[in-house]
Amino acid sequence: MATRVKVPRAAPRVAVSAPGSLPIRQERLARDGKRRRPSARHDTNLLREGLRLERVPDPHVVVLFGATGDLSHRKIFPALAQLWRTNLLPADWGLLAVGRRPYDDTSFREDVAASLHANCRIQLDPEVERQFLERISYHRGDFGDDVTFDTLAERLEQMHLEHETRSNLLFYLATQPSAFPQIVGQVGRCGLDHEKHDGGWRRMIIEKPFGRDHESAKRLNRDVLRVFRESQVYRIDHYLGKETVRNLLVFRFGNGIFEPLWNRRYVDHVQITVAESIGVEDRGAFYEETGAVRDVLQNHLLQLLSLVAMEPPATFAADALRDEKLKVLRAVGPFTRGEVGSEVVRGQYEKGWVGGQQVKGYREETEVDSVSETETFVAARFEVDDWRWSGVPFYLRTGKRLARRATEIAIQFRDVPHRLFEDAATDPQPNLLAIRVQPDEGILLRFNSKVPGLGLEIRPVTMDFTYGASFSADTPDAYETLILDSMLGDQSLFTRADEVEAAWSIVTPIHDAWLDSPAPEFPNYRSGSWGPEAAEELIGRDGRRWRRL
Amino acid sequence: MEGALTPPTAAVPLGQAAAPGRPVLRWSSRTRSIDGVAKELARIWSSVSLTTPGEEGDAERRVAARSSVMNLVVIAGRGEFGERAAAIVEGLTGRHPSRTLIVSPADPDGPSWLDAQVQAHCMLPSATAPETCSELVYVTCGGESGQHMAGIVAPLLIHDLPVTLWWPGEPHFESRSVKDWLTMADRVIVDGAGWSGDGLSGLVAMASLPSRFQVEISDFALIRQARWREAIASTFDRPALLPCLTSIDRIEVAYSARDGTPGMTNVVRPVYHVAWLASRLGMAILSPIRAGTEPWSGYSALLRLGRRRVPVAIRPVESSSPPGTTLSVELHATRNRAELSVGVTASADGVVVLASFDGAAMPERTFFGPRLRESDLLAMTIDAAGRDPIAGEVLTTAAELIEP
Repeated sequence: MATRVKVPRAAPRVAVSAPGSLPIRQERLARDGKRRRPSARHDTNLLREGLRLERVPDPHVVVLFGATGDLSHRKIFPALAQLWRTNLLPADWGLLAVGRRPYDDTSFREDVAASLHANCRIQLDPEVERQFLERISYHRGDFGDDVTFDTLAERLEQMHLEHETRSNLLFYLATQPSAFPQIVGQVGRCGLDHEKHDGGWRRMIIEKPFGRDHESAKRLNRDVLRVFRESQVYRIDHYLGKETVRNLLVFRFGNGIFEPLWNRRYVDHVQITVAESIGVEDRGAFYEETGAVRDVLQNHLLQLLSLVAMEPPATFAADALRDEKLKVLRAVGPFTRGEVGSEVVRGQYEKGWVGGQQVKGYREETEVDSVSETETFVAARFEVDDWRWSGVPFYLRTGKRLARRATEIAIQFRDVPHRLFEDAATDPQPNLLAIRVQPDEGILLRFNSKVPGLGLEIRPVTMDFTYGASFSADTPDAYETLILDSMLGDQSLFTRADEVEAAWSIVTPIHDAWLDSPAPEFPNYRSGSWGPEAAEELIGRDGRRWRRL
Repeated sequence: MEGALTPPTAAVPLGQAAAPGRPVLRWSSRTRSIDGVAKELARIWSSVSLTTPGEEGDAERRVAARSSVMNLVVIAGRGEFGERAAAIVEGLTGRHPSRTLIVSPADPDGPSWLDAQVQAHCMLPSATAPETCSELVYVTCGGESGQHMAGIVAPLLIHDLPVTLWWPGEPHFESRSVKDWLTMADRVIVDGAGWSGDGLSGLVAMASLPSRFQVEISDFALIRQARWREAIASTFDRPALLPCLTSIDRIEVAYSARDGTPGMTNVVRPVYHVAWLASRLGMAILSPIRAGTEPWSGYSALLRLGRRRVPVAIRPVESSSPPGTTLSVELHATRNRAELSVGVTASADGVVVLASFDGAAMPERTFFGPRLRESDLLAMTIDAAGRDPIAGEVLTTAAELIEP
């Protein structure tokens, strides 16, 4: 299966018209009709070559668990609607929404329509919207009730006949994580996971968080893999579907000039920031159990780190890519308890001003304990202990209610080895490569330049690539990319079971150490700031500082 | 300013806020010389500060003013097409070309003159992104100047950005001026479906351009068929049918015609279907395309796939669809005595695939794909800016099918 990174494949060597694709003698004889050309391989659909951008998934039914929830209405339905609008869903497609709330098909479609109006990045034409909505049905039931799934199986049979979807099924778990094992078990009990001999596939998308520590992640993997094979499981980390994150692979491995510099010899350190200006909003209860480490560090930040630090994969096949990411996570290794104290900083926001508005402190938020010890900020200094990166610190930070929303990967290169321009008033600054994931998606390269004039003044200037200036403004949402990939059977941008467990093995010791420590002095940073002072000290003791974003 | 007029009040000055996603005309002026055009273009960007405070408090150039994508040169032979091209390109603002030059000759017998309208169209991609702009220069030349338009365009191109040449209508690939145009271009966009006669001689001439001038060719006629190719390919995604791909023994393409006389209807699109199948499957050409002698007899060819001979029929069918439109593509294969027949037909919304294998009918499958407008095709062509080896092979094979 091709990956979603749109790298044109080489033309097949059997093409009649590609000059030079065969040795000259064979080419000449073939033209003369004297010698048989190599025939098409039986195991490859040669007509697919070059059609990657236009590919439409096989007919199928999506079974969406948690269809009445916030994620479904905010992200999943709008993403599916955009795929429908752009003709990237098959005509023979249907969706069965499963939830506990008392809807029927009509009332549920009305709710979905309202969500589309509120959340779609490009509104659908009324006729297109009608066609999309009429393919959605609602199935009410409790996940713990066998009857729910027995009747679900019957309805799916009926939908396969109605929509001619050839028994292809994509299950989507967008429920509370606690319901995952129950749903997977029920799907297995009803035999809905069985792939058909005539090509009917069965796949399952699982939303994060995938477990809450190393042990629970292993247990959940066991539960899921008792029913499905790994090749059927698509664990979503939506950061991997973001255009800029996918471009990171193209940037690193599609350009010859950066990779030679991408190592301990030239790189001084790396900073990865995922900053949010919003607070916990109406998810206080969820966040109380989660915190910044589980919510962002375990998945988004460690995924970004592994993409920055990984070796080039031998091929762009999903497992080759994921093998390399896994090696990075294993090279990071877990902190000891002592190291957690020195290499990790946690924080919690107090009230303050963000974007000109006064906001509450975390402990004053709805559904949050007034003496909560949940961290809303974490910064850590990691090392990737391998041949390429040994000795290069990776500073990672994430937090809520920070000064602005910004996600960025910054590669800070080493200083020049010798101060050549002694007459200049200022020393050249080290080069910097910043990959802006959001907002203002793009890449910035900072280098030094002489200020025009008779003297020798040096000043840093930037070469700035922004997506808006070079490409269409119509960038697909990460969910569109990932849902389409799962429909096409491409696992490249999804995390594998061993990756998830490796990431948990890095962050679980942090939580364990905090549990054994005295209560933190929370809150310790003001809303609208860039986090606690201890985070500045963490990087400052190495003689460095966080980038101002 | 030589020959320049002041910006009209209709243009919204740079720096004044615009709504995200809405193109805004930021600059419009006229001039009557090449130097004047260059000066007007420079004046647009010197009228606004492009710097913001950088990380260290120093000024850094951070505002994206003009997009950095490509030069688009439109050779608009007729005046009315020039206006249509301008409207299409304006619709792409914020998306693609950095500088568009629409050139149109007029009044070849009078004295030489030049009239140029210089515009900047800008768009805010989103509330947080910097505004990006495209320049549009509409040049009309009279007299002898109109015969050397490539020389007028060359100094106005943004260096180091690729040059795409959109050549609507019927380009004369054998003319003297072609060399001037193609040596400056990286990509040429045409629409082979709009050429006169059967369009096949133009197709053969076009196929020689990539090797002569190192340009890429993008033909709207081929791009329009994307959904057809997807539909045909999808049939063979089924594991049971995949082996039949190497056992195809007949290809038939039906196209719309008002006049059944060979040579009277453009058949570039049907020929592309055959060329795509032949190039993908490695078929050898035993006998090139020949027109039938009788009206409505169409064209035939003979290919070879492995040891099998594959007769090809391209037949006209009287239809209300625009002449030359593909109406159906039918494939036949026999493998281990089981017969596969695949019929892909045009529908109002896209294409429909009907297939039967070993006597059993497969479920019908529809592929949505509304008819693409010129602006959609232009956007798609520019989006896929890299080399498309598949399209190149299809074009080469099509030329071999016509003139081996």
